Amino acid sequence: MKEQVYINKSSEVYDAIVIGSGISGGWAAKEFCERGYKTLMIERGGVVEHRKDYSGENTPLWKQEHRGKVENILVDQQHNIQKQCYAFGNATKQLFGNDRDLPYTTKPGTEFSWIRGNMLGGKSLLWHRQTYRLGEYDFNANKLDGYGNDWPIRTKDIEKWYSHVEIHAGISGSKENLPNLPDSEFLPPFEMMAPEKAIKAKFAELYPERPLIMGRTAHLTKPSKLHISQGRVQCQARNECHAGCSYGAYFSTQSSTLPAAAKTGNLHIAPNSVVHSLIYDEKTNRVKGVRVIDNNDLSEREYFAKVIFVCASTIGSTQILMNSTSKKFPNGIANSSGVLGHYLMDHNYNSVASGDIDGFENEYYSGRRPSGLMMPNFYYKPDPKRGFLRGYALGASAYREGWDSQQHQDGLGVEYKNKIKQAGKWRFGLYAQGEMLPRFENQMRLHPTLKDKWGIPQIEFDVRYTENEQLMMEDAAEQSIKMLKAAGLKNVSGRSTHRPPGIAIHELGTARMGRDPKTSILNGFNQSHDIPNLFVTDGASFCSSAVQNPSLTFMALTARAVDYAVKEVAAKRI
Amino acid sequence: MKNDNASTTASASIRTNEKSRRHFLKGFTTMLGGVAVGSLVTGNAISVAMAYVPSNDNMLTDGKIFNKNQLVLLKQICSIVIPKTDTLGAAEVDTHGFIDNQLYHCHTKEDQNTVLALLTLIDSRAKQQGSNSFIKLTAKQQFQLLTELDLGEHSFDQIQRADFKLLKQYICFGYYTSEVGATQELRYDPVPGGFKGSIPYKKSDPTWATRGLFN
Repeated sequence: MKEQVYINKSSEVYDAIVIGSGISGGWAAKEFCERGYKTLMIERGGVVEHRKDYSGENTPLWKQEHRGKVENILVDQQHNIQKQCYAFGNATKQLFGNDRDLPYTTKPGTEFSWIRGNMLGGKSLLWHRQTYRLGEYDFNANKLDGYGNDWPIRTKDIEKWYSHVEIHAGISGSKENLPNLPDSEFLPPFEMMAPEKAIKAKFAELYPERPLIMGRTAHLTKPSKLHISQGRVQCQARNECHAGCSYGAYFSTQSSTLPAAAKTGNLHIAPNSVVHSLIYDEKTNRVKGVRVIDNNDLSEREYFAKVIFVCASTIGSTQILMNSTSKKFPNGIANSSGVLGHYLMDHNYNSVASGDIDGFENEYYSGRRPSGLMMPNFYYKPDPKRGFLRGYALGASAYREGWDSQQHQDGLGVEYKNKIKQAGKWRFGLYAQGEMLPRFENQMRLHPTLKDKWGIPQIEFDVRYTENEQLMMEDAAEQSIKMLKAAGLKNVSGRSTHRPPGIAIHELGTARMGRDPKTSILNGFNQSHDIPNLFVTDGASFCSSAVQNPSLTFMALTARAVDYAVKEVAAKRI
Repeated sequence: MKNDNASTTASASIRTNEKSRRHFLKGFTTMLGGVAVGSLVTGNAISVAMAYVPSNDNMLTDGKIFNKNQLVLLKQICSIVIPKTDTLGAAEVDTHGFIDNQLYHCHTKEDQNTVLALLTLIDSRAKQQGSNSFIKLTAKQQFQLLTELDLGEHSFDQIQRADFKLLKQYICFGYYTSEVGATQELRYDPVPGGFKGSIPYKKSDPTWATRGLFN
């Protein structure tokens, strides 16, 4: 398996090319390889090997440079955007893009924070691993209020693919039988802390329509035989996931899909290969391959395949399509509809509320849980009286104050030191993750003149939150405060905030699916309406954002699209 | 010097608790045993950036931001804010040296100047009490002066109080993220092995030193 997995130049015509190695790319490669397809995975960044390259892992703060902070000069020169991400720090900085080399612009008066993970594994190494299915209400949402186009699929089309990816990836959570949030194939949920259980019970009494459940995550709370055979063991509750997990106790490309793909002997990887554009053959109306610029020495090369899967992240995939122009497709390949780059969405994390919990002085916890709780979207049924469309989920968690909270109190000396040593009061917070409407006006486009160092046109973003998102976040803050007060919390405070789009790192849309080739890029199997052997299976294909963290749906859509593509090839339609 | 013993203890404990990342990886491979999936071809070498190494040297020299005299003063403030008890205090684990290094590399000029101005303020108030400098005051006078500053009382205003709170934050960060602060004064478990949502707690139990990579 090892010999020549990594390639540089090749004239071979592969059965499939997968552009990208993140969550979607990893799944595409695994599914193709397991179906006997000779597969080339193309990654723009360098190689990150499981275990070996997690250089920040298991390093306590006192052994880290600057105790986990990043030096000013490095931030200023290389990470001025990336530093906005909560997971950016000394132990993870090498996994984030270098902003100096990855410039982009925003239309004057707009903001967009573009967080990048350009290396083997992509953002599968950096995500927070919250995993939720989309439900029937989510797939119906656009149709009901007319914003965006109708999803061409429903839960019956995708549920078996959710199950397929969940069993392999390992998803922890509790069965709830909720109308608005389908259950997954679950490993046991993480435990709640005592005050969390108490608040859950209180909410159940006060707001029976708003259940508070344990967060669902791609962490192995109890690995199956399959997971152990993948070389993965139980979560050790370090909560240092983003620095890398040598236990493979989380889902990432490296821990889960890449070993499965590599085991087949069908996988090849072309690292340091920045895709410039797709090579289109007008005679056959097929994509023949891809043009690549070397990440390091900027030389050019080409790779060829019968089927092309673009899994380069929402913005990355659409950038490639836009930069692939021809006589037939002057405005970007597969863009006969003209909607390529439009309907860009993110999730809106712009409301927070928290308060103090009385009591539970004799309660504590051990281990560091890599997940909080979740209150699924309780506005899943449209209601004109609400004043805004769609809804939000609320993330939640309790914690007991440690030195970082207690340091702010008055005092000095032995008494101060001894107070800090003890655990303080319990606190509990809610934060919103809201749906962002699909709007034609919210878009990315190629900059007419500016290019990056690989000669690829830079992206210009033109994305705004509108009144709908603002009203929703104000409502989220109001509801959160109301619920916390009703549950008996003290010193409750909350507010809506103003962080830019992009910072949730849930970019979605820009090459949307749809039934009508005149208004969408992809059909219900993530296949280009215009070109049969071209697929886009990452977040670019979404018709609406829903409120759920989208990664699990990337996995399911990708696995489903590979299954379809292989059948279409067998039927000689591709 | 009264701090000699303490400093020796600090450096000894830092050495004995050394456990390298390579050691972690080695132990990990053993744990996985036969089920380990081979890694893919070659990767990059492990790169471990240099962490700040606490100094045991009581003969302070000029730092990156603070001169020798300012470091002597900052060290004394550290020892008053978080003194030695049955565990070492902030001064014994070189929190003052750490702050000098950390402010230089990771903070703004404005933050640096705030601390510099605060040190000047503390010394000038000591002079008003007829002393050459803060460190020449009696222990009781020093504690009294910093308490007034901490509460914004007497000759100190609320802005100066807020600045001192900021300095206390730097001291706390330096101390509680040091090995002594995290593992001896507080509780730290590098590999908890799993999460339990409820364990008993009594008032004498130390708090956990961290909740994860980012908090």
